[in-house]
Amino acid sequence: MTRSRAPETIDWSQLWYPGPRRVFTAAEMAEAGQDGPSRTMLVVTLANVAILVGVLLVMAPPDVVGGLMLSVLAFLLASSAAANWVWWRPSRLGLLQASLGATFAPLVVTWLVRSWVPERSDRVWHGVVLAGGVGVVVVMLWFVAVWRAQQIESRLRERAEREQAIEMARRLAAAQLEPHFLFNTLASLQHWVDTGDARASRLLSALTGYLRTTLPMFDRPLLPLADELAAVRHYLEVMRLRLGDRLQVEIDVPTSLGAQRLPPGLLLTLVENALLHGIEPQLAGGRLWVRALRDTAPGGPERVVLEVQDNGPGPAPDPSPRQGTGLTNARQRLQLAYGHPAATLELAAADGGGAIARIRWPFEPQASTRP
Amino acid sequence: MNTRQATALVADDEEAPRDQLLAGLRSAWPELDVVAVAGNGVDAWDAFLEHEPDLCFLDIRMPGLSGIEVARRIGERAAVVFATAHGDHALAAFDAGAVDYLLKPVTADRLAQTVQRLRLRLASVPGGADPTALAAVLARLTAAQPRRLPTVLQATVGREVRLIPVDEVVYFEADARYTRVVHAGGDALIRTPLKELLAQLDEQQFWQVHRSTIVHHRHIAAAVRGDEGQMHLLLRGRSERLTVSRHFQGLFKGQ
Repeated sequence: MTRSRAPETIDWSQLWYPGPRRVFTAAEMAEAGQDGPSRTMLVVTLANVAILVGVLLVMAPPDVVGGLMLSVLAFLLASSAAANWVWWRPSRLGLLQASLGATFAPLVVTWLVRSWVPERSDRVWHGVVLAGGVGVVVVMLWFVAVWRAQQIESRLRERAEREQAIEMARRLAAAQLEPHFLFNTLASLQHWVDTGDARASRLLSALTGYLRTTLPMFDRPLLPLADELAAVRHYLEVMRLRLGDRLQVEIDVPTSLGAQRLPPGLLLTLVENALLHGIEPQLAGGRLWVRALRDTAPGGPERVVLEVQDNGPGPAPDPSPRQGTGLTNARQRLQLAYGHPAATLELAAADGGGAIARIRWPFEPQASTRP
Repeated sequence: MNTRQATALVADDEEAPRDQLLAGLRSAWPELDVVAVAGNGVDAWDAFLEHEPDLCFLDIRMPGLSGIEVARRIGERAAVVFATAHGDHALAAFDAGAVDYLLKPVTADRLAQTVQRLRLRLASVPGGADPTALAAVLARLTAAQPRRLPTVLQATVGREVRLIPVDEVVYFEADARYTRVVHAGGDALIRTPLKELLAQLDEQQFWQVHRSTIVHHRHIAAAVRGDEGQMHLLLRGRSERLTVSRHFQGLFKGQ
């Protein structure tokens, strides 16, 4: 491995306040700590206890074995309860509480045992068992706490990474980063870089601008027209560089309408459609218009009208399934935001050939002045 | 081994990827003779008929005719290599079959492989691609390409614009930069070049029989083969004879 790791710094606080430093919230525990205690750990613990019992049976004087066994049983119950406690509360506080519980319960039992049994020379044995038992149990609890904390932490991290990847994929999908668009752009870029063409730099900054404006675009349910238009301008700049004379663009959107909001990606979808179905199929290329205006028809509610027009072959009589989905999807999102018939999206044949897509939605007066 | 220099056609509607491929070919295959470069599907098909290259490098998305449609017309007469920006599902088929494909931006390594493959093919199978593999791929790809066909043509004659229903057309003939439309009621010139018109016509109805002639099949009475391999069409109720060029003689093979 080439990855170098910084030397671990010793956490001295573990000496007086041992246990995992991180405290998991209830939500985190619910997310990554719902599983019960590890069965492997239980088996290993029981095996160790069995060995301890065996050793005591062999080595301790016969007259104290009964009392010792009671103490061991008390330890066993107390420590498993404590381990369970730590399992669900893998923090310093949880470990402290569990350690105290696991120490005091056997002490109390031992004291009771000793008050029944007459004082004899086996005090040493009880002392040894108590001290050893407490030591073993506390160390065990410490391990349980640390192990458990790491388990939950790595699960949370894993989940966060996965969610991040999904989120990124969702955003890319939402941004409709069409692979054809991306790779064709990269193909031009590659060539212009190879040949030292000055267009490389312009294309790269247009593509960067496009990515930067489209990726966060879908974070909000509604986007100011000005922001959407910024993405569209970058997109059209990329296409203009790639297609050269084949693409002419005219954008006429008054700045006063920049704050009007609409679902993100709508305008971009219409522009992409116009390019794909209106401009690219033409041998000589074509012209694309993006226009916005305030529709103050008397009697009706005030609305914003946004148009994307091309001078291509015009809308197909029966749109291909793919084009249909893009348009249907856009229409649904628009009507989800503003309702029907307040907001409409229509595609029609333009006067003098070509297609015109038109979105109308309610004008928001309070949105006119930007915050 | 073919001693003649291999010839190629390169078609892409975008300048930069096209130039990139040309530059790549120059270094990967210096002796390859690129006889034609086209910026759309219509020009690509026309250039194919004019130059008859051994190899065709075709972008898939092109105006006029798509690379797929050009390849289908070329059929077995040349080895076709598709260039595309994105690996559509059909690429698996290309990979397995006779036709090769290149992903844009084209890398030198990948192009070298293609060149290797093409050299082998030219050396072993004169005439090009494995027809069954190509046909299978193309059948799948062409299914999803709806096309809108004009029903009426508008020809300017002096001061008037005459409307000619497309199904009354007998044949089209390229005439310099115009196209002569011969129809039931006479003939007229339209401004759309024949090669562009071709992309707008229903192939089932209108058969291209020559680089500069498209005939409505209903009006063909017979195809007559001459002594030196040439072929002519006789039309129903008309005296003129149309030449069928070598490329299209396969349309008339009898049953």
